[in-house]
Amino acid sequence: MMSVASNTASTPYSYNSYAKYVYGYIASLIAFILTVIVFYYVLTGRGERIDFGWFLMETSPYMWASIGVGLAVSLSVVGAALGIYTTGVSIIGGGVKAPRIKTKNLISVIFCEAVAIYGLIIAIVLTGQIVIYTPELADSDYTVKSRNWFSGYAMFGAGIITGVVNLVCGICVGQVGSGAALSDAADPTLFVKVLIIEIFGSAIGLFGLIVSVLVISKAKMGDKA
Amino acid sequence: MGEDPIYSPFFGVMGATSAMVFSAMGAAYGTAKSGTGIAAMAVMRPEAIMKSMLPVIMAGIIAIYGVVVAVLIAGELTATGYTLFKGFVHLGAGLSVGLSGLAAGYAVGAVGDAGVRGTAQQPRLFVGMVLILIFAEVLGLYGLIVAIYLYAKK
Repeated sequence: MMSVASNTASTPYSYNSYAKYVYGYIASLIAFILTVIVFYYVLTGRGERIDFGWFLMETSPYMWASIGVGLAVSLSVVGAALGIYTTGVSIIGGGVKAPRIKTKNLISVIFCEAVAIYGLIIAIVLTGQIVIYTPELADSDYTVKSRNWFSGYAMFGAGIITGVVNLVCGICVGQVGSGAALSDAADPTLFVKVLIIEIFGSAIGLFGLIVSVLVISKAKMGDKA
Repeated sequence: MGEDPIYSPFFGVMGATSAMVFSAMGAAYGTAKSGTGIAAMAVMRPEAIMKSMLPVIMAGIIAIYGVVVAVLIAGELTATGYTLFKGFVHLGAGLSVGLSGLAAGYAVGAVGDAGVRGTAQQPRLFVGMVLILIFAEVLGLYGLIVAIYLYAKK
């Protein structure tokens, strides 16, 4: 009984102490499988079949565009949610002893929500750009095909930019909003000054919006050359 | 002139993406970390808040490095006539400014957090914090220099 109890504790080399490396196990398993697949192709003389360019050519631009749209809104919303979670918890916690902070600090929550709105705007703009093209025309006319494929890639890139930048911006605004709520609870004159830092954080999300609008402005799907 | 396959704009788009995304990650970390430090020390010394905004501003500058390179790359994206050479060069430029900005943002955040908390207790530390922040910021600048040099390659 004693030996079983000491094995389930977190002593080194106990059964449970290896669990914290689970991400390492998953990553090395994936790397091993990929290495085996690549070696199989290379050593059986079919090395040129591993072709990233072939993958980029064969996949439909609708896939890239739709993934871009999905990631634009979903990652932005994840960022906003993480921000609201951090800020909201601090507002409630600080409001126990200082209930006056609850209305003023809703501004921090609104800053986080704005991040989600940026993602929504970009996703709607991107969706408006997805247009049908006739596959026969694309196969025959090189300019039409390259324009449509380029639009797919551009929409994917714009979606990733918006999504991930809003994700980190939301987390950042949430952290600073949490600090703002707690310093407001301690001293009411501090709120406006700490809000300036939140505005800097919000500007990061705006940069992402601007860059993705720039990237998407070049893209044009459809049948025209 | 180089080869001009259809998929070469993908690498250019990924260059613009990595420039913006990674530098935004660094800037967000810098803003959040030093922002919580400022909010914490503001309770003790409210008169030092405006001076302590420096790490936040420097983190914002790192985001601007990424925006500059991303805008430059996005301006050159075209559907036709975009060679593989251009695509890979833009990917390299985006990666260089992005990942350097990520690292610089992390450094600015950590140093800013410790610096503002220390300056609240010992005001003579402010100059030291500025010096260390400058060295951290210049890491992002190195990435920007390499990105611009790559971008201007014909």
